[in-house]
Amino acid sequence: MTEAVHAVPAPGADVDLLLRVENLNVQLHIGAVSVHAVHSVDFHVRPGECVGVVGESGSGKSTLARAIMRLPPNVSRVEMSGIMEFDGRDLMTLPGETLRKLRRESGFSMVFQDPLGFLNPTKRIWRQVAEALSDRPDTPSRFERATRLLDEVGLPDPARVARRFPHELSGGMRQRVVIAIALASEPQLLFADEPTTALDSTVQLLVLDTLRRLHRDRGTAMVLITHDLSVVAELCDRVYVMRGGEVIESGSTTDIFDKPKDPYTARLMELSRASHTLAGAQPRPGNG
Amino acid sequence: MSEPIIRLRGATQHFKDPTAFVFRPRLVRALDGVDLEVHPNRTLAIVGESGSGKSTLAKLLLMLRRPTGGEISYRGVDHRKLGRADMKRFRREVQAVFQDPASSLNPRMTIEESLSHVTRFHRLALASETQAFISRHLESVGLSPAAEYLTRFPHQLSGGQQQRVAIARAVLTSPAVIVADEPLSSLDVSIQSQILELLQEVRTRTGIGLVIVSHDLGAMKLIADQVAVMYRGKVVEFGDHVFDAPQHPYTRLLLDSQLSMDPRNRRPIRSIEESRDRSDPAANGADGCAFRHRCEFAMDICARTAPEPAQIGSDGPIIRCHAVADRM
Repeated sequence: MTEAVHAVPAPGADVDLLLRVENLNVQLHIGAVSVHAVHSVDFHVRPGECVGVVGESGSGKSTLARAIMRLPPNVSRVEMSGIMEFDGRDLMTLPGETLRKLRRESGFSMVFQDPLGFLNPTKRIWRQVAEALSDRPDTPSRFERATRLLDEVGLPDPARVARRFPHELSGGMRQRVVIAIALASEPQLLFADEPTTALDSTVQLLVLDTLRRLHRDRGTAMVLITHDLSVVAELCDRVYVMRGGEVIESGSTTDIFDKPKDPYTARLMELSRASHTLAGAQPRPGNG
Repeated sequence: MSEPIIRLRGATQHFKDPTAFVFRPRLVRALDGVDLEVHPNRTLAIVGESGSGKSTLAKLLLMLRRPTGGEISYRGVDHRKLGRADMKRFRREVQAVFQDPASSLNPRMTIEESLSHVTRFHRLALASETQAFISRHLESVGLSPAAEYLTRFPHQLSGGQQQRVAIARAVLTSPAVIVADEPLSSLDVSIQSQILELLQEVRTRTGIGLVIVSHDLGAMKLIADQVAVMYRGKVVEFGDHVFDAPQHPYTRLLLDSQLSMDPRNRRPIRSIEESRDRSDPAANGADGCAFRHRCEFAMDICARTAPEPAQIGSDGPIIRCHAVADRM
């Protein structure tokens, strides 16, 4: 049994993987057209690790995440093959009810890019957080626990935010509410699909701080799906680079940033660097 | 400096807050006393976060809205005195490129139909020469051979190609000014740099005044001659070297919030208290500086009076800040 999932294993050690995906293929059939959106992808996450998946639009990164979450995109037919295991349990064949139970109790949560589409517009914030709490009789009231989660993600005046409706909050606040909901089930693995893409840079930092504290304090393993290499540089231990449904390169973040092997990765790297060299943003030696 | 094509003087755009309680109407000051000039042969970047009023400012520059206070003038003529013929000329001379190219092109028209519509409306070419005229412009924005694109519909093009068509449509009228509102933000990184290069190339080739509204400071640093930083409806810093030598505390905060692309040099993780959102959405009144709640230099005076624009040195930026003005 793998109970002690919060320990970070030594690199290269033969440890149990939290998430193991092998030779995953996803074909989407949209009417008469079919798209091979994910092509023979191998992907794994160790306990306590933060893994980045980067790629441009159409690279298959979101389809990969949705396939693993078993929340396939809304098309006429989805065909999946390969191996997907979470904590030793087969995700491919798990029936819906067991899957929901796994997600809720020990499992994994997902944070999407658009928090407004995820939150219920007619329910107060605290109720939506409380819904995701696993019930334990010996804990304080659900309102207080929801509020504590809202506090943990750094929302201002959490008791007041708790009584609001989603439309009364700013985009950054909503995104942190969604993270609080994801935390409520105390996940071992958190999937975040473009969690900061729609946010301003100052707010992006607040959300990234929230995610990094989580990772550090709770040992939550994370998969960050993004097109933004600077977010990966700030957070991730390892990276997968995707293009056209395939993983074209993977490795430790420092290795890939130092020496990208694939020319496509190198080009992305170069372009991102060009637009991230700003004076005032932490002057570095030899940088004028 | 040359005569500005568009000039804003104390331009103000106030809206009634639609979410406010009916009996207690509240004003949203989307723009508050903005002075700005658009000159030919110059790239002006307007940067700021969401809600700073930068898109409202773009709409004003395009005269899609008229200001609720202050004035906007076009080639020296106040907007209230512009007649029909002036406005038709304005519409030809000042062109727009928007954020989402898919929704700025008519989905039912082929590229040729879309562009010949503009050509006919402004009488830019004879009917017999329209196709050649359009083709020439499509090729000038990198869509060549043009014949391949003329018969396509917008959905048959990629996002970058759609944005190129939008730029071709803008240059069709030989404009004096192009106002681009977030032209990059719906595009992939590898396409963004191409569109940025194209805009700059059009600017240098035709000598237009280019105004780009963006939240992407890195991209703006690559292209801008002048930068206006907006916060809560006001231009808080304006100058030529804003990114190299930021003066206003907000500009510094913005620049400091940029991530570094260096996995070996990560920022320290801030505590919950440090990373709490301190911006107060209600702080939009006329009193005091709107930035004071987030400002490390805030003084008593900042809560009482809003700082007026002041120039730093003889050729420095124009900024709105009590604390920086004090240090001078």
